[in-house]
Amino acid sequence: MAKLTLYVNKELRSVEVEPRETLLDVLRDKLGLKTPKCGCDRGDCGACAVLIDGKSVRSCLVFAIECEGQQITTLEGISGDKLTDLQEAFIELNSFQCGFCTPGVIITATELLEHNPHPSREEIQEALSGNLCRCTGYTPIIEAILAHTTKEGK
Amino acid sequence: MKDFRYVGKPITRIDGREKVSGAAIYTDDIDFGPNLLYAEIVSSPLPHARILSIDTAAAEQVEGVVKVFTGRDFPFKFGLYMKDRYIFAQDKVRFVGEQVAAVVARSQQIAKEAAALVKVEYEELPAVLDQMTAVCDECTLVHPELGDYPHVPWFFPKPGTNIAHWRKTRRGDLEQGFAEADHILEENYEVPRYAHCAIETHVAIGKFDHSGRLTVWSSSQSPHTQRHLFAEALAPMGLTHKDIRVIAPHVGGGFGGKAGVTMEIIPAALATKLRGYAVKLRWTREQEFVNTYQRLGVVAKIKLGVKKDGTITALDHKIYWDAGAYVEYGANVVNAVGLSAIGPYRIPNLSIDSICIYTNLPPGGAYRGFGYSEMLFGLESHMTTIAKQIGMDEIEFRRKNAILEGDKTAYGAAMNPNGLIEAIDKVVEAIDWHKDYQNTDPRKAIGKGFAIFWKAPAMPPNASSSAFLKFNEDASINLIISGMDIGQGYQTVMAQIAAEILGVNPAKIRVETPDTDRNPYEWQTVASHITWGSGNAVKRAAIDAREQILDLVERVHHLSRDSLYLEDEAVKCHTQPSFNLPLKSFVVDGIPTEDGSYRGGPINGRGMFMPEFSSATGDPETSQGGHPNVHYTVGAGALILEIDRDTGKMKVLKAAEAIDAGKAINPDLVKGQITGGLLQGLATILYEDMRYDEKGRLLNANFTDYKIPTSLEVPEEIIPIIVEVPQPDGPFGARGIGEHTMLPAAPMIANAVEDALGIRIRSMPITAEKVILTLLQKGKQDA
Amino acid sequence: MSGGFEYYQPRQLSEVLSLLERYQDKARILAGGTDLAVYIKEGIEHPEAVIDIKRCAGLKGLDVSEQGVYIGAQTTFSELVAHPAVRMDYALLWDCAHSVASVGIRNRATLVGNICSAVPSLDAAPALLCHDAVVHTVSASGSRDICIHDWFRAPRQTARQADELVLGVSFPKPAVRFSGIYLKLGRYRGEDLAQAGLGILYTQQREYRLAFCAVGPIPTRARRIEQLIKGKTIDAELLSQARALVAEEVSPITDIRSSREYRLHICEVMLQRGIQAVLERYDGKPIHAATVLGG
Repeated sequence: MAKLTLYVNKELRSVEVEPRETLLDVLRDKLGLKTPKCGCDRGDCGACAVLIDGKSVRSCLVFAIECEGQQITTLEGISGDKLTDLQEAFIELNSFQCGFCTPGVIITATELLEHNPHPSREEIQEALSGNLCRCTGYTPIIEAILAHTTKEGK
Repeated sequence: MKDFRYVGKPITRIDGREKVSGAAIYTDDIDFGPNLLYAEIVSSPLPHARILSIDTAAAEQVEGVVKVFTGRDFPFKFGLYMKDRYIFAQDKVRFVGEQVAAVVARSQQIAKEAAALVKVEYEELPAVLDQMTAVCDECTLVHPELGDYPHVPWFFPKPGTNIAHWRKTRRGDLEQGFAEADHILEENYEVPRYAHCAIETHVAIGKFDHSGRLTVWSSSQSPHTQRHLFAEALAPMGLTHKDIRVIAPHVGGGFGGKAGVTMEIIPAALATKLRGYAVKLRWTREQEFVNTYQRLGVVAKIKLGVKKDGTITALDHKIYWDAGAYVEYGANVVNAVGLSAIGPYRIPNLSIDSICIYTNLPPGGAYRGFGYSEMLFGLESHMTTIAKQIGMDEIEFRRKNAILEGDKTAYGAAMNPNGLIEAIDKVVEAIDWHKDYQNTDPRKAIGKGFAIFWKAPAMPPNASSSAFLKFNEDASINLIISGMDIGQGYQTVMAQIAAEILGVNPAKIRVETPDTDRNPYEWQTVASHITWGSGNAVKRAAIDAREQILDLVERVHHLSRDSLYLEDEAVKCHTQPSFNLPLKSFVVDGIPTEDGSYRGGPINGRGMFMPEFSSATGDPETSQGGHPNVHYTVGAGALILEIDRDTGKMKVLKAAEAIDAGKAINPDLVKGQITGGLLQGLATILYEDMRYDEKGRLLNANFTDYKIPTSLEVPEEIIPIIVEVPQPDGPFGARGIGEHTMLPAAPMIANAVEDALGIRIRSMPITAEKVILTLLQKGKQDA
Repeated sequence: MSGGFEYYQPRQLSEVLSLLERYQDKARILAGGTDLAVYIKEGIEHPEAVIDIKRCAGLKGLDVSEQGVYIGAQTTFSELVAHPAVRMDYALLWDCAHSVASVGIRNRATLVGNICSAVPSLDAAPALLCHDAVVHTVSASGSRDICIHDWFRAPRQTARQADELVLGVSFPKPAVRFSGIYLKLGRYRGEDLAQAGLGILYTQQREYRLAFCAVGPIPTRARRIEQLIKGKTIDAELLSQARALVAEEVSPITDIRSSREYRLHICEVMLQRGIQAVLERYDGKPIHAATVLGG
């Protein structure tokens, strides 16, 4: 066991980990963050997406111990005390169904908009292509991101 | 049509904030504290074998292992429609991946390592890996004791064979019908198995406390039915329904895969031998592929006779289902299609044989569409083909033969009101069907594909729904029901129904996930029936509450009952416009009177709906008589497909789909089902491709090699169309649509491929590769 | 316990090398981890030590200059995709990098890691083979420069010795004007491993360099075809001859992803369309690699 210290949603956290424990498992089982989900455990579905220092990663393919001192952001951190405008757009346009892929999708969308505030439809599709959604057919998700960026532009 | 306040409006979902903020709790998110134990399964590597011995000694020695269990600990059977299934394999294993033993330990890691130490000795038996082999004489029997299995009275197993059920539907005079035909087409169609691929895998936690009370948390479409099956299976241990509670948190996708009971029974059973602990079992993605329900495979033989004017005279439809090792649920898929395999057509002389065949593959079960996708692939491919062969426009052919209200269904009942013709016409218009879709790029071919579809809920005749409704002090409402929002928006739709009756905004109505102890009975969230069934129950509960309110106000304020109505969270009066009694003033507290006493009290509504006209008792040889299906939902779809001639790669340029929802309680959610369902349907024909090896092992049990669509696969344009021909016994005229939106996808593509390239492919999937290999093969043949 | 390993996060190159010297083939280098994490979790690999080089100081990163391109051991695919000069001047490399999985993988996965994992379908190879890249390794006993054409030995096997760290891979900027493209056969537009891949580099001297991946045990240059079309005007007849040589250049297999016949056929189509596309790019026409094969 090794001691790991890292920032989770800007809060300094300390936890004991085995090297082989993934960031996903440590976040969920030891640090109480439940929004990153396990969908496949192989990095294929994106449900486990979190941000490490602002970049989206597959937390099931990261060993927690790699993240010493880094900033991890999960959906809990994005929701904070008040949901973001992007999240409000999702709610308003019903851009979800079962909601299981939603945390990963919002993580990915948040990263996209950070460095591309006005993405085209195709750019949104490309950015989201690593987040599998079985329910919505993606269209309402793409629409929410487009609606949000249009609103921002005004 | 009457305009409603909340019904028929595309309101935002009431579960949006919970899901989009990340607050929504799914089963694996629940913390159970340090006494949570983890189960790991030991599964069969063989498709068919006798279990000679199981040596658990080494596994038991591992530090942190609490106990190791095998089939000996739970020699109990269970099953929804037929009891052919075990909690753990008993003397035999019948598919690769079947659970043989379980290690329960203090951590998942320990359980996993110990499970690898369990030694199982097998004696391999011959396996049957496809239904056509399994159905022949002298074949290995997957269930030699089939004759002893209890089952619902409308199943007809053939003991001594691998035929678990044979649904025969016969009407008219088939021979005569074919004699009258000017043209007959006979073809075979093949549809393989498919996986649901909900992003959340199956997961359940069982806890058996020291008072002898079993609680199971599971990601489920069917908490009450799960409880019932647990009670039946665990009855030998002295448990009854009273002792068992199922709590169903949010579900990360179901699609039928989380209906009934599959792996959930394992932690439920394990818990009963681990008093005081909670035991969790969560499927990995690989286990999700191999050891939950799969969509059944189909070999269909269709013989259709038509007159030269396009009138269908006869249909002989034989469907052989690869139903897997256990058919307790899958046999009803076979049954449902056996009653409906005429498609949405008027056919006077028909014979349907729908045969449920055991194989040594994973159990087939409920999957969105319940067999109709598989059936319609063949049937709608066939219809387009025969129309072309007689030189008739395929749209006109379908319009001519479309089943109308009052026409006879396959089993002789009258077809319900439906907008099939309207759906066809609207799709034709939306897709601009008659436009000449020529393109300028010689590398691409463009094809058009059309299909119509129908489906009825496949349920026992007494599938019922109940609802409780209570007011809170602020006039908000808790709607206490046991349907599951598996993504389709059920909670919102129920809130809209209650809102309409009670004049309370849906945003003030809470509908939450159920607990079988608190929430009244709902059969299952399947069959696309809960908008109808649960909607009726909710409407009745809301009306019950409304009646209590109006009775009370009449009694206290001496206003004629007929003049009172509810609006904007208040009781108002037509004859006294100034009368406005806010609900919050009395729905809990009662109405104060002059002498200081109160009238009324908390308003609690109750509603229940169970169809009393549905009956599964038809003639076993013809299926005539009885009324097994409550009603059908119909629709039509079309798409424009672009195919790269050299690579076979396909792109849906435009798709239109119309569905007759009766009354779309929330049109936005209906459109959501069209978009999502269409893409899931397209995925089955274009991308998803299960590969088994000769030993019954699934080779692509992951998303790396079983491809479900990404955001890059979305068709360029999808036009959703809602038709509304009311369902007389539906709430506000509504009927279900959730599964149906998938149904036309596969035949539309098959028809479009033929239109574009002149090749008819009769097996799924139709991948880019298959298109090219077919073209190359044809090229060789033509040369 | 099985699946367990010692984790090291060395800050200096010397530490990395001494760990490698100590553990030899019982250690694995961890950069992005998108391959290694899967191998460890699924029990395909059981290293005793995992050496995380992400915090190692002094390792050269991505450098694009008039000299050429240097891709360091810590350089992720996302960095390659985001680099303006890569996008503008090295389309083949950019296409390869961009075709890998999805953003969440590319943010971690490194090109060097990709060529060390060396699965036959690796996307990085065509660009490196066409540019005649060199792999730079170092160990406690010295350093080596290994030509990319000697790098891949067999599926998942490279020329790397057990005590060596790959510092980076580089190639010079072509002296003449050039264009390039990478075409990848997947089962759809979304994330997929290549079932066939072809990278083409075209130079002002009408020289073509062609490299296939996923259709043989290792990625290779198609030298026979290069020889055939070198310096010539591309016409239907020449393309037909070139296509006929494809079967000699590649040896695709049938597996659960695709069949030998289809892969072979697509290689021919990729050759034809790839040549056309690379000529169009040379003329300045914008071509989106992902749409060349349709779908």
